[in-house]
Amino acid sequence: MGILDKLSAVADARKTLFPPGVDPLNVVIDEIYSATEASIGGHRVLLAGTNNYLGLTFDQHCIGAAQSSLEKEGTGTTGSRMANGTFAGHRDLEKDLANFYGCSNAIVFSTGFVANLGVISTLAGPGDVIVLDADSHASIYDACRMSGAEMIRFRHNNIEDLEKKLKRLGPKTEKTLIIVEGIYSMLGDCAPLAEVAALKKKYGAWLLVDEAHSLGVMGVHGRGMAEASGVEEDVDFIVGTFSKSLGAIGGYCVSNHPELDLVRYICRSYVFTASPSPSTIASVREALKAIQSKPELRTRLWDNAALLFHGLKELGFELGPDLSPIIAIRAPSREKTLFAWKALLDKGIYVNLVFPPAAPAGMSLLRCSISAAHTSEQISFLLQAFAEIKLLIDEQE
Amino acid sequence: MTPPRYDDIYKQVVALLQEYAPQPGPIREETELVNDLGFDSLKVMEMLNDVEDAFDITYPLNSLSDLKTVKDFTTQILNIIETS
Repeated sequence: MGILDKLSAVADARKTLFPPGVDPLNVVIDEIYSATEASIGGHRVLLAGTNNYLGLTFDQHCIGAAQSSLEKEGTGTTGSRMANGTFAGHRDLEKDLANFYGCSNAIVFSTGFVANLGVISTLAGPGDVIVLDADSHASIYDACRMSGAEMIRFRHNNIEDLEKKLKRLGPKTEKTLIIVEGIYSMLGDCAPLAEVAALKKKYGAWLLVDEAHSLGVMGVHGRGMAEASGVEEDVDFIVGTFSKSLGAIGGYCVSNHPELDLVRYICRSYVFTASPSPSTIASVREALKAIQSKPELRTRLWDNAALLFHGLKELGFELGPDLSPIIAIRAPSREKTLFAWKALLDKGIYVNLVFPPAAPAGMSLLRCSISAAHTSEQISFLLQAFAEIKLLIDEQE
Repeated sequence: MTPPRYDDIYKQVVALLQEYAPQPGPIREETELVNDLGFDSLKVMEMLNDVEDAFDITYPLNSLSDLKTVKDFTTQILNIIETS
């Protein structure tokens, strides 16, 4: 059996799922016009599946800072953080992040994925235990596997199950890292973080929160779910990304544990990959300023999310349990999800198509992510299109 | 408390596998979860919730890499019960 044979299952699945000429998992954006509009397949479309929560990808300060950095510092660092890839900007951004969170330590990584991969697999090792939410991101699962720690899953957002698992661990909880996300990426539901933090304290465990989708979105100051839940002091490590509300690419970890700084020396995804380009760092520093100086972006984001969430509910769609900027519509079958996704694209709307295992519990989803940059007219256009799609789906039943 | 017996656990495991198996069929000790019963990662995870409830155990995900047959599964559960 050759090494490529296993890919035949992928080929079969692609053939079965997608009709010829349609591949929703390989969409190409021909041209991007703004935070909310682009050209796909020669048609102008409204973007409603980008994670661009604050719409900062076209922020003039971010672009200006990136342009200036490009001219002064070039296109890339061509080296890892440990070698020649730490410029003054990387360290400055780490100071900015530490100040933003009121933490003593911060590390910048090349992506959010490798931040999780590196931090988790370095913090936990053989002899330790990781207790993770079942709906955790792939980067968390991969990191747990890499760590060599005992890996225990608790049912998604189920505090009783988490406590049951912690209780069974007995004294091992002092070497146990609990991992949850602020907002879960597929259904947009929020972690019951105050209760998780209370259990962490009760059982003497450690707590890491991935704020990828909640940075800039939750909390009065935009620091995420830990801030919104009033438990920042109980969270040992926060991991996040620059690729969503900050509109660029990169990742980070902040903590008040001074040992975080030692992670730099042994974390493989920090040591053995090239650092973010200086222009990316420059734009992220500006975006972080915007999160702090423009709370109105958060207000607009939540207003837009509420408008779409309640509008879709009124239309009779089955949505995720919580109102958040991620609005996931559960469709009755893969075929109908694909049909609706294509029909939306034909109407000039791009949303994410999500099939299992990316979507939890075998669900098929049309995943919308809303931006502060969306106008009320664009939300109305979305709702109108979804109303028409609903009719088409209902007609098929 | 009476120590758990392999045979009792095996019977319960078979019942759970019959409930969740995507490709139902005869189940014996040497039956393979993936190749014979059609389990994929999602289905296994779904079943593990019930396995944990049925035996009041925590099943570490690391054990999945050593899980191939019904006998493996039964032995793993027995070991978890005995060591917890």
